Amino acid sequence: MLIDETHKKWRDFSLVFLLVATAFYCWYPMRPPQGRNGGSAVGIAFGIIGSAFMVFAGLLGARKKFPVWRLGPAQTWMRGHLWLGLLSLPLILFHGAFRFGGTLTTVLMVLLVIVIVSGVFGAVLQHYMPRMMTREVPLETIFEQIDSVRAQLLEEADKSVAAVCGPLGVMAVGSRKLPAGGYSERGGATPAAAAAATPALALTEEDSAPLRSFYLRQMRPHLEKPGAGDHPLADPGKASGIFEELRKRVPPMVQETVEDLEDICEEERQLRRQARLHHWLHGWLLLHIPVSLALLVLGAVHAYKALRF
Amino acid sequence: MSPNALVELTIDGKRVSVPAGTTVFDAARMNGISIPTLCHQQNETPVGVCRVCVVDVGRPIYAASCVRPVEPGLVVTTNSDKVIQARRTLLELLMSDHPTPCLRQQHSRDCELEALAKQAGITQPRFARRTVAHGNDDSSLAIAVNFDACILCDRCIRGCNEVRGNFVLGRMGKGAQAGIAFDHNLQMGDSSCVSCGECMVSCPTGALTNKKTLPIDVGPDHSAKIAEPDELLQLPVFKGVSGTFLELNKGAIVRRQFRRGEIICKEGEYGSTAFYILEGKSQVSIRSPIAHVKTQDTARGFLSKMVSTLARRKEHPREEEANRRHIPIDAPADLAYENPVAEMGPGDLFGEMTCMSFYPRSATVRALTDCTMYEMNRNVLDILQRNKTFKERLDSTYRERALSNHLRGVPIFAEITDDFLDHLRKTVELVRYAPGQVICKQDDPARSFYLVRIGFVKVSETYPGGELVLAYLSRGNYFGEIGLLGGGMRTATCTALDHVEVVRINGEDFKQMIERFPQIRRGLEAAAQERLQQNRDRLAIVRSVPLDHFLAQGLMEAQSLLILDLEKCTRCDACVRACADAHNGVTRLVREGLRFDKYLVATSCRQCRDPLCMVGCPVGSIRRRNSLEVIIEDWCIGCGLCAKNCPYGNINLHPFEVMEDDPIQPRRKMAVVKQKATSCDLCSDTKYKEPSCVYACPHDAAHRVDPTTFFADKLGQAPGLTLKR
Amino acid sequence: MARFTRTTKKLAQRIDLQYFKRSSPFRRWRFLLSVGLTALAVVWLAWQTLARNNRAYSSGQMATAHSLLATQCAACHVSRTGVFREHATNQACLECHDGPLHHANQVFAPDCASCHVEHRGPVRLAATSDTNCTQCHGSLQAKGGSFSFAVDRNIEGFHSRHPEFAALRSGKGDSGTIRLNHSVHLRKLRVSPNGPEEIQLDCDDCHRTPGDKRPWRFGETPSDRDEAQLRTAAMEKPDPLRPNPTRAYMAPINYSKHCAACHLLQFDTKKRFTEGVPHGKQPREIHEFLMNKYQGHIANHPADLRTIPMPDQNLTGKPASPLAQNLSPPQWVDEQVAEAEKILWRKTCNQCHTLSFPKGASLPEVAPPNIPVKWMLHAAFDHNAHRMMTCTSCHAGATTSQLTSDVLLPGIQNCRQCHRPVLDAAESRCFECHTYHDWSKEKPVKGRFTSQELLHGIATFPQPRDAEPGQR
Repeated sequence: MLIDETHKKWRDFSLVFLLVATAFYCWYPMRPPQGRNGGSAVGIAFGIIGSAFMVFAGLLGARKKFPVWRLGPAQTWMRGHLWLGLLSLPLILFHGAFRFGGTLTTVLMVLLVIVIVSGVFGAVLQHYMPRMMTREVPLETIFEQIDSVRAQLLEEADKSVAAVCGPLGVMAVGSRKLPAGGYSERGGATPAAAAAATPALALTEEDSAPLRSFYLRQMRPHLEKPGAGDHPLADPGKASGIFEELRKRVPPMVQETVEDLEDICEEERQLRRQARLHHWLHGWLLLHIPVSLALLVLGAVHAYKALRF
Repeated sequence: MSPNALVELTIDGKRVSVPAGTTVFDAARMNGISIPTLCHQQNETPVGVCRVCVVDVGRPIYAASCVRPVEPGLVVTTNSDKVIQARRTLLELLMSDHPTPCLRQQHSRDCELEALAKQAGITQPRFARRTVAHGNDDSSLAIAVNFDACILCDRCIRGCNEVRGNFVLGRMGKGAQAGIAFDHNLQMGDSSCVSCGECMVSCPTGALTNKKTLPIDVGPDHSAKIAEPDELLQLPVFKGVSGTFLELNKGAIVRRQFRRGEIICKEGEYGSTAFYILEGKSQVSIRSPIAHVKTQDTARGFLSKMVSTLARRKEHPREEEANRRHIPIDAPADLAYENPVAEMGPGDLFGEMTCMSFYPRSATVRALTDCTMYEMNRNVLDILQRNKTFKERLDSTYRERALSNHLRGVPIFAEITDDFLDHLRKTVELVRYAPGQVICKQDDPARSFYLVRIGFVKVSETYPGGELVLAYLSRGNYFGEIGLLGGGMRTATCTALDHVEVVRINGEDFKQMIERFPQIRRGLEAAAQERLQQNRDRLAIVRSVPLDHFLAQGLMEAQSLLILDLEKCTRCDACVRACADAHNGVTRLVREGLRFDKYLVATSCRQCRDPLCMVGCPVGSIRRRNSLEVIIEDWCIGCGLCAKNCPYGNINLHPFEVMEDDPIQPRRKMAVVKQKATSCDLCSDTKYKEPSCVYACPHDAAHRVDPTTFFADKLGQAPGLTLKR
Repeated sequence: MARFTRTTKKLAQRIDLQYFKRSSPFRRWRFLLSVGLTALAVVWLAWQTLARNNRAYSSGQMATAHSLLATQCAACHVSRTGVFREHATNQACLECHDGPLHHANQVFAPDCASCHVEHRGPVRLAATSDTNCTQCHGSLQAKGGSFSFAVDRNIEGFHSRHPEFAALRSGKGDSGTIRLNHSVHLRKLRVSPNGPEEIQLDCDDCHRTPGDKRPWRFGETPSDRDEAQLRTAAMEKPDPLRPNPTRAYMAPINYSKHCAACHLLQFDTKKRFTEGVPHGKQPREIHEFLMNKYQGHIANHPADLRTIPMPDQNLTGKPASPLAQNLSPPQWVDEQVAEAEKILWRKTCNQCHTLSFPKGASLPEVAPPNIPVKWMLHAAFDHNAHRMMTCTSCHAGATTSQLTSDVLLPGIQNCRQCHRPVLDAAESRCFECHTYHDWSKEKPVKGRFTSQELLHGIATFPQPRDAEPGQR
């Protein structure tokens, strides 16, 4: 989440907490004979607070599973997740007195560092990516629906070309299954009604040839194959050149259609960009979440074993 | 010259005298001399565009008689060779572009242009045809449009704008590209055309023609047969109807036999027909659970989980709701809330709204005894409704059976006594308005009070620079009281949105009523005050918000927007999941929509000030709370029309499984999925202040805001907007 | 006309309302990875448990001395019935180690593990933290409230509030009785044992640790026997600080190796004998040695009965003594012995040794040398560990010291130059010089483990028995 002025209290709390903890860490070996030690009372206290913070941070995931439970607004949890999660690193370092200890504790430490570093990375991403996405992808849609929207774009393109060129002879586009809860239930016009099969503005074979061949040879394969980034239409500069060229070759009546196709290509490009940005924005979670889960499980084992021995 | 003074002139050698201001065309017609014309019609303002009615008035230039006023001593020649020759050239020019025979000529052989051309003996025009086709528009269900046959006489435009006041049709283009256009050159079916048919009636050629209605599907059932015109003419309700018309529409009315227990129509289904009961009795009822969707916590404390259940208003009362005792349906009877069942007998007509405005059926009708019914299409229903006999019968049925329920169903009138009702019964009048017709106009004197019986009435106010919709009134609503109570002038314009029927109570009766029942007066005054205040507030907002995009997105209309700050939102979908979680897995929020500034205006109920969703609800179950929040009443039948009507896609249907009698095995119950319309309820049925989506947003991105206050500074500065196309 | 005007509704209708219920590749991967990684962690631990390998839970590497025990948790972590925690017990330590008590009247005896912290990697377990010591010495208490020695009772560490070394603090001076002027010996000398030659003596010409096998520059070549002698001589008392001292202290000064080359113990003015008197003998033995020497000589040289003064001894102008005396040989011997003893007692012996002449006794008494071997009785110091330094960098007083009583032990400030509690400084913690356990009281430990047990698991552990008093 964006760390702005609303985080002031958390930031101040964290700083004060860190200072107090550091002061305590510096002070406490004056008393007990063993020096700084995870097993000493203060060491255990650091460990307990640090792991409590980690558990709290980890509970955000559980909290998200039950969004309607009124356990405090999710953003409070998120703030806690950010700040307390961050605090857990120094606290655990204090707990272990900057020693990595044995195998399990070393593994734990490595996992913790991965979790914190990935978390900080994610937080940094969350500062910049949403803005970037907002700026660069004005036509964005829901990430999970990009494929479906892309299929709809293809369908739309098919129809607008068929409307001027006559049937295209490509696979019927109605094959896409309408998902339950889709149009019909929600009172939308069925897309099939939008364009009739017979062209309203039929062109002669000769006039429609450039558009038809462009669409079937270049654009349609591009729209059909998601992920092929090397297609000339995937590049805005090249695409505008291609369309400029096409516009010169088609009769004035179908300029609108060409414009529509260009719009569709633009939207498709943006969706592609959105998917890429989305992968960045959420990809780090693939590391952060599994590792933190493993961290919590191993941490529990460590706590049991360490308190026992 | 006084307006009633007579003017003398000579037409074709005949001396005639007509009132001053009469056109030459009318003067000739009044004296039995017919001048051919295409663009002129009696009920429309003459415009003189086709020039077919040219006459020689003794001036160097021939005059179009339809726009030429008479002058004393004018000598008019309508049939000299030169005039005929000029007219012939005009017709020849028109015919050269006319697709002969046009649709009208093909269907009913009454194309005025072709008739005139035939008269003039034109077979092969000397002029070249236009090369570019103007095309067809097949999108309207009622009217076929062929732009090639259009002669630009503007009769349809005047019919639409002057006669009906719909202002759908207009001109666009210049020169060879000139033509008529619906709205801003939309397809007719996509335009704001209300399919009143006025344009089609006005059109002299095959440019706008009646689409033949599909005959009602008789099916293999032998109990149904197409009604013969002769048979129909025997019925008193068809008295006076032209047999030719009935013949033309043969197949649009069917006589059906229903056995006892058979279901005639089901609530929520779409249909296009109305039923007239000839014999037998039938039962009309709502079979959807009479309850609304309530979202609540299952348990107390922290770990509460929200679920959606169906609750009756007794269990979960909402504002004002306990007052309404009757459910308005598309039949001559209203249903009691407690027991939504009523009986209908011979002579009753039901399904009018479905038939006229294609609304979904509002209730289920089942035959109580063996029944005979006429099922009819809208054209036949239209004939029926225009029929005097039938209208009288309808009126009396209404007075006898429905008026008291209807009036008392309005909370304010609940205490009207029976004797006064009897008095009203004699004087009230059922008035019908076609879509787009103005019922009363702003600043006109107020003479009547209206109760809506069928259809939807738009209340709007004009202000410099536009028109502002103040409310949509549906069945059970009333209007006109502000004018009567206050200065005697209408404060707003009320227009029929679809086929509207209102109960008109004249001003005298109204005054008597409020004198006799001071409580009603107080109630009305309070309501009027509130309405006026709301209207003033809204107008103030409109005036203070000059921003095009803000208006274009309808944000001004919204009282509460779910916005996502796109600079904070990580697109994690927590809001959608939370919404679905709070509402049994049915999300009332879609994280998609247009942007305003750096915010995504998510698709979730905006509680519009101008709630279009309410227009067309066949049972009037969608309404606004006093807090202006949109709520759906218990008797929602799940037809989904509100979802269709919501311009923002914010209403969804929530399926529930309910137990119902198994039609195959009586005394057994079976699970049936029933739909209930739902929209964002702000999770307000729970004890919490924030809606779940906002509560569950981990990034502080989602907010529910009042757009006018939230965007106040943005609107003040009018910054560059980042809008999608 | 564009394809369509984007409106909220059109956009929303493109979206399938159930989309969030379906799994997306991203969510699937997230789930799989979460489950997978957690499962991996659990499987790892389970595998460790099944393999009876507890190393993973070790909180750190064992000290080198205990590395065999790294997999034998039960060797130290004794399970006790009804107790959740399984800390290492003193008793477990005492199986292998005797830990004699520090002081008889100490008020508090810590657990072994509280000072010797294990699982800290391959470190010396003896290298305990100062706080272990200062928990008592920071404000020292003693049973009965009396101390056997006067010490500062609020020591914070070597760097702070540590008292000056006792030898310097008392101001008593060196207890040694051998007269030695260090400054004279460290000046340039013009005569060497081999004749007139300029030489410079170095500290290690006299002071060396016992293990040094280099030949002495002016003395006998050391032999193994010598070294053993030296060692025992150096360590004549058992050292409570070190069970096994090696080359920590300087070996004692030995006449034959360090002094004899220059300081010949001459007794005869006429140089009739090449040898001097033997060193390390009491005056009575010296007297007998002289008697024997002179009796032997007069028997072989009767002519020497008459002593003729050397002409060159009459240069002062004094009247010559009677030139000839006739003496009997015993008379002569007595005369010669008396002469020699006069030289010895007044000069040769007296040069270094402190002689006293008790009344009535014919022979003097030689005071014992009394040279301290160890200056710091309660602390260990290792000269060998400082061998990289020049002697005078610490013992700066050696070049100027003229008196035996000068204490050349450097002060604590000198040590603190290097031994500071900062980074990149020499160790300054207590254990560097002091030892908690009084090793002089160490008792032998009887081993009970077999090599198989140590390698493959200590199956049983004796039930806890009460630690013997004072055995911590």
